[in-house]
Amino acid sequence: MGILGEFPDLFLTGLWLTVQLSILGSIGALVVGTVIALFRVSPIPPLRWLGVAYVEFFRNTPLLVHLFFLWLGLGALGFRFWTTDTFGTIFRAAAVGMALYHGAYVAEVIRGGLLGIDKGQIEAARSLGLSFVQTLRYVQLPQTFRATVPPLGNIGIALIKNTSLASTIGVAELLQAADIVESRTFRSDEAYGAVLLLYLVLTIPASLGVNWLERKMLIAR
Amino acid sequence: MSPFDAISAAVCGTPGIRCDTWHLFVDPTIIRFFGEGLRETLMLSVAAVLLSFAAGMLFALGRLSTRAWIRWPSILYIETIRALPVLLLIVYLHIKGTTIFRPIMSPFFGEDFDLPLFWAGVLGLSLYTSAVLAEIIRAGIQALPRGQTEAASALGLSYVQSMRFVILPQALRLMVPAMMGQLTTVIKDTSLVSTIGVFELIRQGRVIYTQYFNPLEVFLYVAVIYFVICFALSQASRRLEIRAPLEAKVKIQEIQLRDQVA
Repeated sequence: MGILGEFPDLFLTGLWLTVQLSILGSIGALVVGTVIALFRVSPIPPLRWLGVAYVEFFRNTPLLVHLFFLWLGLGALGFRFWTTDTFGTIFRAAAVGMALYHGAYVAEVIRGGLLGIDKGQIEAARSLGLSFVQTLRYVQLPQTFRATVPPLGNIGIALIKNTSLASTIGVAELLQAADIVESRTFRSDEAYGAVLLLYLVLTIPASLGVNWLERKMLIAR
Repeated sequence: MSPFDAISAAVCGTPGIRCDTWHLFVDPTIIRFFGEGLRETLMLSVAAVLLSFAAGMLFALGRLSTRAWIRWPSILYIETIRALPVLLLIVYLHIKGTTIFRPIMSPFFGEDFDLPLFWAGVLGLSLYTSAVLAEIIRAGIQALPRGQTEAASALGLSYVQSMRFVILPQALRLMVPAMMGQLTTVIKDTSLVSTIGVFELIRQGRVIYTQYFNPLEVFLYVAVIYFVICFALSQASRRLEIRAPLEAKVKIQEIQLRDQVA
């Protein structure tokens, strides 16, 4: 992989931007997903409808459309994500797009975790004399955690792979780095091969981790 | 003043919202233009799904094979492809497709054979989707009780016969909702093919907004088109909910979350 040494700046910035996008996107998706999940289980009908509409809209439209909308569509309105730097705007648009899109999937998982606990268990815990906090701490949260963490890990892996879409609006992440190197050197096999390996370095440990978590939670269940 | 007038009066002053281009989206020529994009999108997804179903079936059976020299290459293929972004595969096939396929295709199409962009896109999508479908089919086969295979071989059916007449008909029936879900994902994934220059929905949208400078309206419009199709499909697949063993459902949900989100 000599090409990595020839263009270390491009590949390293690319890797760093991919990692940044993945982390920011994941945090954002968790926040968005939790809020939408709470909307979906709330007793107020309009909030519930809003939650359903959000999830269905984002799950049935491509991420690329959202990225273009956030960058060009909002750009036409003069909205630049509170920065004057163009690359900053693009990066923030991409991160927001990742968070909004994957948030819809996160919301479904968290909702499943919240609704998955049998009411009888909570009643049983309370009748055994556990306080509300104790019930939450020893009965509800461990089970919700067990039901949601492995699927959330899977969404995280999907998110890492989907950061490659940010290259289409001009974020110089890994795939864009490969494009640049390829157009400078015409050594497409090496450029894309290097990026392929870097993606594997990111996703394979992540999926091994998720598999390990899954097995651990299954045994504990 | 009608509610519509009130909305336009409030909104149209905002810079960036071009109310003078709204008539475009009911203009027959423009609708036809988007219709051509939609046709390309649907053709891409149908071609990709058919190709990847055939390939996915082979890789699923390969991964379940008892022969190590078939099993390990299948596992390697499936796991590597599932760890990569689709866009990387599409872009790479766009650049290298002609070099790879010219030696194979030149006897049929002549020495100057170029891999059409459409097929570069289909192959890129299929490479990825076949690995995902292979995992879904494998989950379906593994969800069947072992007794089915054993009974089939006890009745004297060969491997091919038991697969053809006993295992696959049952496994595929379990998989129908998951496969329809996959079709939805493939339709969304075809949006990535716009990056290599196939004129599907998004690319058509980009042509329109570079002409009329109205990206906001165009992408809303395109999003609605995608939504209508994908929503109808996903609702239909939800209706088809077939009783599958819980373990298979959990496994498929995992595959869907990791690989269908795109």
